[in-house]
Amino acid sequence: MELAVKNVSKTYGNLLVLNKINLKIDEGQIVCVIGPSGCGKSTLLRLIGGLENPDTGSIEARGIPPSDCLNPLTFIFQDFSLLPWRTVEKNISLVLEDHGLSTSNRNEIIRSVLRRTKLTEFSDRWPRELSGGMKQRVGIARALAVNPSVLLMDEPLSALDSQTSEILLVDLIELWEKQRFTSVYITHNLSEAIRIGHKIVVMSRRPGEIRETVNIDSEIMDREIRNIELEEHLWNLLRDEAMAAEWELKNE
Amino acid sequence: MSDKKNNFTTISFRGGGFQFKNNYWISPTVFIVLLLLWHFGSTLGFISNLVLPKPTEVLIAFHDLYVTGDLYLHVGASLKRLILGWTLGTIIGIIIGFAIGLFALVRAGLAPIVAAIFPIPKIALLPLFIIWFGIGELSKINLILFGTLFPTIIATYGAIDNVDRSLIRLGQSFNLSWFSITRKIVFTASLPAILSNMRITAAIAIILIVAAELIAAEKGIGAYIQMAGSLFAIDRLLAGIIILSCLGLIANWLIGLTERKLLKWRNL
Repeated sequence: MELAVKNVSKTYGNLLVLNKINLKIDEGQIVCVIGPSGCGKSTLLRLIGGLENPDTGSIEARGIPPSDCLNPLTFIFQDFSLLPWRTVEKNISLVLEDHGLSTSNRNEIIRSVLRRTKLTEFSDRWPRELSGGMKQRVGIARALAVNPSVLLMDEPLSALDSQTSEILLVDLIELWEKQRFTSVYITHNLSEAIRIGHKIVVMSRRPGEIRETVNIDSEIMDREIRNIELEEHLWNLLRDEAMAAEWELKNE
Repeated sequence: MSDKKNNFTTISFRGGGFQFKNNYWISPTVFIVLLLLWHFGSTLGFISNLVLPKPTEVLIAFHDLYVTGDLYLHVGASLKRLILGWTLGTIIGIIIGFAIGLFALVRAGLAPIVAAIFPIPKIALLPLFIIWFGIGELSKINLILFGTLFPTIIATYGAIDNVDRSLIRLGQSFNLSWFSITRKIVFTASLPAILSNMRITAAIAIILIVAAELIAAEKGIGAYIQMAGSLFAIDRLLAGIIILSCLGLIANWLIGLTERKLLKWRNL
């Protein structure tokens, strides 16, 4: 499935958060959105996922999701959003229960996604027993369970320590190699964006506008751990904005 | 001074205290010591028997209650009113609380009325309830129902207001039905607050039933205490009070049991 964000603006009260955003997300492509804090990246993702309404413009999808797709646009959240009263298995089951699947069918899907995210032996654990990385694996497993066309990832690794996030990033890259999902990936981590993005969209401070789009042609699997040159280029684009954004928040 | 400069000295520990330790034997000991003080105070004459009879006399009053079958009569009458009133008040309160918590229109209509009735001491309504529902069971059950209803409504919609919005957003992002989100996310998330409110309403119910029975009843623990008081039978009066304490403890224990069963995931 491919997505098109067309001329989208969003205001909260008097505050213009997003200003005339145009963005195309191609089938099988990971589009990373980076920008200073408060630039409206997460709002953009929620708009794409239908959790918020744009004031102007529209968000359109093209292509028919596969027949076994239960939820075409599926989120992975920064704070994991696991139900603390459900075990790992039941947290995944939650998103399957409204679809009239048979119990054996459901268990089959759960087993499969747990295996793919290396969680098999944790199926009866409570979320409180898991480390942050494990919790996010459950978040990823839950997203995979509905066989999404597009994964909407809202800073999925930002709540994790840097070692864990590196491990999960590699896992996400491997997963993409196998499934070639379409994705919008919000992050504030430049090197993360350079590692996993086919396209990097740099946003400016509020009101959020697209400042530059960088295409990276090399295969995701073949990339170096760091690309200092590109990182510097992106940082130059962001530095002044990030500083100004910081100052802005403190004066609010 | 040169010693301090050149030699290593052990850093003294200063992090202790300010934590709970379980001393299981302390509270029974205190209880027994108090009982003994009471007993010897009474037998040695420090405590006048007119003011406070011996613990053994209270025990005998208790035994009499049991042998004559009055225990069942009074406790049974009170329990029936308590259970009916409290259960109805709790169920209706949770339903109304959910309606207020989930629908803006209901909130706008009912929340101010609830806020206005909540602070009325419910015992003040007893004369009115006797006129409305008669001197019998109905006025007492309704009093308890009313007394538990309002705290339950307020606790329930307060709990719903506090449900983590990101979990509701999660449900919506996976296209869960409204009913699924309400049942599997909102209800379960508000359960801890609803259950801890039940402890409070159980205490309120016991207060109200005794007050109502003191004023107008032939049976019930309140009526028994009232009777004992007017006969100056302090031993029986104390027996009645001890029954009330036990009733409260049992209610609390039952709610604790329910909590441990339903809120396993918290592992408290």
